[in-house]
Amino acid sequence: MTIGPLFFAAPWALAVLAALPVLWLILKAAPPAPNRLVFPPLRLLLGLKTAEETTGRPPWWLLALRALAAALLIIGFSRPSLAPDTPDAAGLGGPMLIAIDDGWPSAPAFDEMRATASGLIARAERAGQSVTLLTTAAGRAVDRGPIDARPAAEARALIARLEPKPWRPDRKAAAARVMATDQRFAEVHWLTDAIDDADAAGFAQALAARGPVTARRPARLATALISAEATARGVEAVVRRASVIGGDGAIAAETLDGRPLGAVDFTFAPGALQATVLLALPAEIAARAARVRIVGERSAGAVWLLPSAAGRPIVGLADPGGQGQPLLSELYYVDRAIEPFAQTRRGGVETLIADGAQAIVLPDASRLAPPEQRAVERWLDGGGLLIRFAGPRLANDSDALLPTPLRRGARQLGGALGWETPQPLRPFESDSPFYGLPSNAEVTVNRHVMGAGEPPADARVWARLADGAPIVTAASRGRGMVVLFHVGAGPEWSSLPLTGLYVDMLRRVTAFAGRQPGRSDAPIAVSGPYVLRRMIDGYGAWAPPPPDAPPVAAEMFDAARASPTSPPGLYERGAVSAAVAALRKDESFESLPDLPDVTMSSMTTAPPRPLSGWFLSLAALLMAIDVLVALWLAGRLPNIRMPRWAKRGAAGAAVLVSALVLSPPPAAHAQSARAGDTDVRLAYVITGDAAADATARAGLDMLAKILRDRTAVEPGPTVGVDLARDDLSRFAMLYWLAPRTPRPLSDSAASRLDRYMRLGGMVFLDTRDAGAAANPGPAATLLRGLDAPPLEPVGADHVLTKAYYLMQSFPGRTDSTRIFAETPSSAAARDGVPALLIGNGDWASAWAQFQREDSLAWFDDDARRREMAVRFGVNLVMVSLTGNYKADQVHVPALLERMGVEERRR
Amino acid sequence: MSPAQSGSVRQDAQALTYDLPGLLMRARRLASTAPGAHGRRQSGQGDAFWQYREHRPEDGARTVDWRRSARSDRLYVREREREVSQIAQLWLDPDPGFAWRAGPDRPPKSERAAVLLMAAALLMWRGGERVGVIGRPATRAARHAETHVLHDLITVSGVEPAAPSARAGLILASDGYAPLETWRRRCERLAARGAFGAIVLIADPSEEDFPFAGRTEFRTVDGDTRTVFGRAQDVREAYRERLHAHMAGLVEIAARHGFVAVRHRTDRPAGVALSALIAAIGRRRP
Repeated sequence: MTIGPLFFAAPWALAVLAALPVLWLILKAAPPAPNRLVFPPLRLLLGLKTAEETTGRPPWWLLALRALAAALLIIGFSRPSLAPDTPDAAGLGGPMLIAIDDGWPSAPAFDEMRATASGLIARAERAGQSVTLLTTAAGRAVDRGPIDARPAAEARALIARLEPKPWRPDRKAAAARVMATDQRFAEVHWLTDAIDDADAAGFAQALAARGPVTARRPARLATALISAEATARGVEAVVRRASVIGGDGAIAAETLDGRPLGAVDFTFAPGALQATVLLALPAEIAARAARVRIVGERSAGAVWLLPSAAGRPIVGLADPGGQGQPLLSELYYVDRAIEPFAQTRRGGVETLIADGAQAIVLPDASRLAPPEQRAVERWLDGGGLLIRFAGPRLANDSDALLPTPLRRGARQLGGALGWETPQPLRPFESDSPFYGLPSNAEVTVNRHVMGAGEPPADARVWARLADGAPIVTAASRGRGMVVLFHVGAGPEWSSLPLTGLYVDMLRRVTAFAGRQPGRSDAPIAVSGPYVLRRMIDGYGAWAPPPPDAPPVAAEMFDAARASPTSPPGLYERGAVSAAVAALRKDESFESLPDLPDVTMSSMTTAPPRPLSGWFLSLAALLMAIDVLVALWLAGRLPNIRMPRWAKRGAAGAAVLVSALVLSPPPAAHAQSARAGDTDVRLAYVITGDAAADATARAGLDMLAKILRDRTAVEPGPTVGVDLARDDLSRFAMLYWLAPRTPRPLSDSAASRLDRYMRLGGMVFLDTRDAGAAANPGPAATLLRGLDAPPLEPVGADHVLTKAYYLMQSFPGRTDSTRIFAETPSSAAARDGVPALLIGNGDWASAWAQFQREDSLAWFDDDARRREMAVRFGVNLVMVSLTGNYKADQVHVPALLERMGVEERRR
Repeated sequence: MSPAQSGSVRQDAQALTYDLPGLLMRARRLASTAPGAHGRRQSGQGDAFWQYREHRPEDGARTVDWRRSARSDRLYVREREREVSQIAQLWLDPDPGFAWRAGPDRPPKSERAAVLLMAAALLMWRGGERVGVIGRPATRAARHAETHVLHDLITVSGVEPAAPSARAGLILASDGYAPLETWRRRCERLAARGAFGAIVLIADPSEEDFPFAGRTEFRTVDGDTRTVFGRAQDVREAYRERLHAHMAGLVEIAARHGFVAVRHRTDRPAGVALSALIAAIGRRRP
């Protein structure tokens, strides 16, 4: 059913629209879902009656919304589609004829053509027209019968299956088919490839006689190759276009198995219909080109096949069979050597001859049975080329198929018992077919067979060893030729098969196949018709030949045009292969001129656009809105009138994001916050001197114990620190006990220690050389490479003297010690707290020796010294933890007072 | 599990849903805003001096306060303040509907009730009285007494108030939506034990104002009973009349049995209700 531009595929569904008023009433009557509330004094409500139970009806606009959604739903289910191409009122109901040029010129635009045909069929279906299809390039006889109308569905299926044929339309036959019917059509559509031929005008007339013709042309006309050949310069091709507009592109050459060889752009000269294009390739590579095609042009006409009969002779390899190891097989070397320029076949000799081999390679391992020998002789007389290789069997048992009689046994050079060295090849003589090939000095021959006596008159020596012994001999046999390599085909007898020379020699030998000297280019052993081996389809791709492809008689072949009886493709006739091209050079290939009685039009590719989806989506959308509205009416939506929280939330999020973006990066050094690391830990530098390290650990362990006993500092277990690896930032102070043999720090350790000191760490270097006159002390060595700050002796007012204990001297293992600390000016950035302290008291030893009684044994000088050493240690740790806290003036009065008391006491 | 057990489990669970410390804190704050601590303000047997009053013949000679009388020509009697402490007992309606609130912007009725009761309890403790939940021994102010009473209040209050101590002053907190007959029997039973006191009737504003409109289904908290109105606004007037009548009946029943009904809405400050409560419990039994 059609209403305006709308077409309804299921119009009965529209009947439901009549039920809309009923729906309206139902919607109107149905109360909205109640607002459900908990209400404790419900008892008081029971029994109350409202005046009208159904007064909570939905508002009219909601009803309208729902009705609209329902209407859209119904329309959606009636499957509407928008048909832009509405038939003329006059054409309504009349039969329609669609003629399609389905030859290869249509192939590039065939999708467009098929869509147009589908659109026309769909239109005819809607309009109730009958459809008659006519394909002008019909191949099979069955498709060339009288035309008749078909149901639209069948026509559509036919169109979907229709593929372009690899030949051009036969419009003459098509016109005859049109004339055969006397039906008149309301519309005739000719989907044409727009390529003119002799019968186009006649066909158009025939169509016009049956109804008003509209010719629909593709947007772009086909381009075709009309010749291509491999020359010494490369691949030369000629491209033809149908109209003087457009058509520029590129051609590509590829091998038989589809490997690309090269591509080159071409352009047409203005106004020219033809362009010659050269794809420059080395001759050898160009010779391998089997197919040239126009890139991007999918049609049979855009493909040109290069039959390779001349370039690639068929060479039979007489396979002795039973070879398990291919690399040891003589034929392996031959096969690899001649494969680039010849088609090789393997098998028994008689099979090879039957297959039309132009040359047969007979390795030593292959023995010929007498019937085979007779067959080979006949074949040789007919023009075959027999290539033989020597070997142990031939050396012991020669036969008649040789250019020269052989002496029994092989000549061995350079063997254990030999007295001659392996021989190289002599440069090729000018009468040799190998002349010009480089004589490779690497080629050496260890063994070879030798001719017995004088060679026959017709035998010619093509190659010799350096000592003059023939190595390749050839002789004519009837119209054919026998070539003997006096060495093996494999590498056992000589290194020849391992060299490139072998390939070149075989190539020159096989060149004699089929065209021996003096015998012209007469084909060998070919007879019968040409048989289609590989076909190209309408799109120019390879296709298997149809089973019913008829052979083409040889005398007809040269004149064959692409047609159902001779489809384009590769044909073979015995050993000769030839091609039939989709477009011959002498065929016309021009665009269709304007024809009388034909309306020219373009393809329309707009099939009816289904609208169901739009209607159904819109209905779904309306229903979604309805749900929201219903919820809102029932008060179930969160307060939409007060989105202030949302605004506030968004603002907050924005502030948060900007704060995150603008916040400064975290401090470059962060105290490691791993569990357990928050403890204060005393740390010593692992120096590598086991004794020193043990002393340092023992001393610090004792110091930690004393700190726990006497102060609020409660250090965790003592830690040894590897300056190069460990995280130093966890420690307030590093105790560095100089080893016996000081060594400078590694670069990384020094830089890490520098960084540690710069960031507020404190290093206490104990050179423990008090009393010794070592000069320079170990400190010089240890601090080498370190960015050590300037130092000064620790004075009486240094914070070390009052950080915890008041002390004026710092006894270590001995009483007389000296301590240097970073100068306050250097440490100004750290408020004067020194980063580096150097002392010589060997305090660790003193601490380690401390005993509990020492703190009381003031009468014992050693005990007192150890006590003082421990006190110094406590002060040291306090300085490292509290910095210059005690250096400020807060405690000055108390300190003064106490000092005064002490002074007075003295 | 017996129904009683399950009930107690439910109430224990209910106790968890209350923010007890917060509740107590609000109660304290409320009590602190209440007018000063009350004494008995009547003469009686106690240690504290109450007043001198003129001697009356029926007092007898032993009562004359000679020291005071010597300063003037008249005879005076030294009266001491009455110090027999009263027992105040509390009841919180455990009805699930009482724990309801219409919106998150106001407290559940029962929570407001608990705050009010606890504030009253604090004030009474300050006045030296003994306070407890009906069915539990009343205690004097002591450490943790508040917490215990509050906990009892939430967990122990039965559907019907248990038998009160003799002549105890009662504070019953409810929304009063039980049928009037229930209330009548309840008050009679309590009054028979000599109890007097106050009933604080706490309502959610939406229960009084009935701000509903449109098609609405009302149901009880347990969902057993429900009713639908096409236009809820149409029943508003009728409902309010019924509510008014119900409450008037309740007040009348209460008054007849020696209880003062104090009405309170959860959107109003609790202080007013507290003052009314204290006044009601502090007066003598009529």
